[in-house]
Amino acid sequence: MSDKAEILDTIAGLIRQVVGEDWIADVDIGMDTSFSDDLELESIEFVALAEHLQQVWGDRIDFVGWLSGMELDEIIGLRVGQLVDHVAGCLER
Amino acid sequence: MPDLRANGLAFHAQLLGQGPPAVVFLHGVVMDNLSSWYFSVAPAVAQVTPVLLYDLRGHGRSERPATGYTVADMVADLAALLDAAGARPRVHLVGNSMGGLVALAFALAHPDRVASLALVDAHVSDGGFGEQMAGTLLLEGPARDAAIATHFADWLGRHSERKRNKLAENARALVQGTSLVADLRASPPFDPAALAALSVPVLALYGEQSDIRDRGEALAATLPCCTLRLLPGCSHSVIWEATVQVREAIVQWIQAREAERT
Repeated sequence: MSDKAEILDTIAGLIRQVVGEDWIADVDIGMDTSFSDDLELESIEFVALAEHLQQVWGDRIDFVGWLSGMELDEIIGLRVGQLVDHVAGCLER
Repeated sequence: MPDLRANGLAFHAQLLGQGPPAVVFLHGVVMDNLSSWYFSVAPAVAQVTPVLLYDLRGHGRSERPATGYTVADMVADLAALLDAAGARPRVHLVGNSMGGLVALAFALAHPDRVASLALVDAHVSDGGFGEQMAGTLLLEGPARDAAIATHFADWLGRHSERKRNKLAENARALVQGTSLVADLRASPPFDPAALAALSVPVLALYGEQSDIRDRGEALAATLPCCTLRLLPGCSHSVIWEATVQVREAIVQWIQAREAERT
């Protein structure tokens, strides 16, 4: 499994954990999956996801720094793959 | 960060940046939680100095007691949270809507613990506040959806039935299952003399079209050190309608206040 596939796998698991409802188990979470349109993630759930990411990868990733460079529209349009790419980029450094 | 225990309750809090928090963000009531600051202004401010965000009691992922929702209770929560988080002795408070009212009430109660205030379309504890709140909160059906659309422009929630329902359920549980509305109604108005004596620097950002713009104008007329900025074309939901301007104004405000400190 490539690095990104592993990261995607981890992030998909964290999303399922954060949502914590039955329906999410059957959703196929891929690189193109949109947090807003496809997963309907609530913003407070997204905060929880960020916290989980920090628990897994610690200070190697800077989620808040990443967000600080984004406009609201970009955040609303975020796809899982962009988060995977960001994490992969941080881990390479 | 793990939940913070303060004033007898478990609070969901987020610390952005390293070191003792110097800025604390307060969100609005009922259909709001810390995520509105988390996705709009807080990350940019965290590039300047460490930031603490928390969910008010009964909101977001904080504990929801059945009673204890007066402004004084929320002020006591904040005092205890600052201790629990090991915050700076004097912090900058940034409050939106009702969160702005709590920030102002905190500054009046503990002026020695506040470095500055940034208020975004803040409510002010006046006579009509409780009635107005109660009216907006006790809604159902399409009126409910309209209120959600107006008062909670959640960044991911605007077009989703699942989220609208969850928000409404949550709002109903808070309004009908706790003493929030009655407690806010019972909270006494600010003393104009106390406001006139508050020496803390205040930035007040209000929507030019906001239904509570007059509160901002009254604050600017009463507080000795208040800068009022009206954001053109904005209603009460200033942080969503003018996110970039609000973020830039607050970042500059904190930078300037921090520069004065050294």
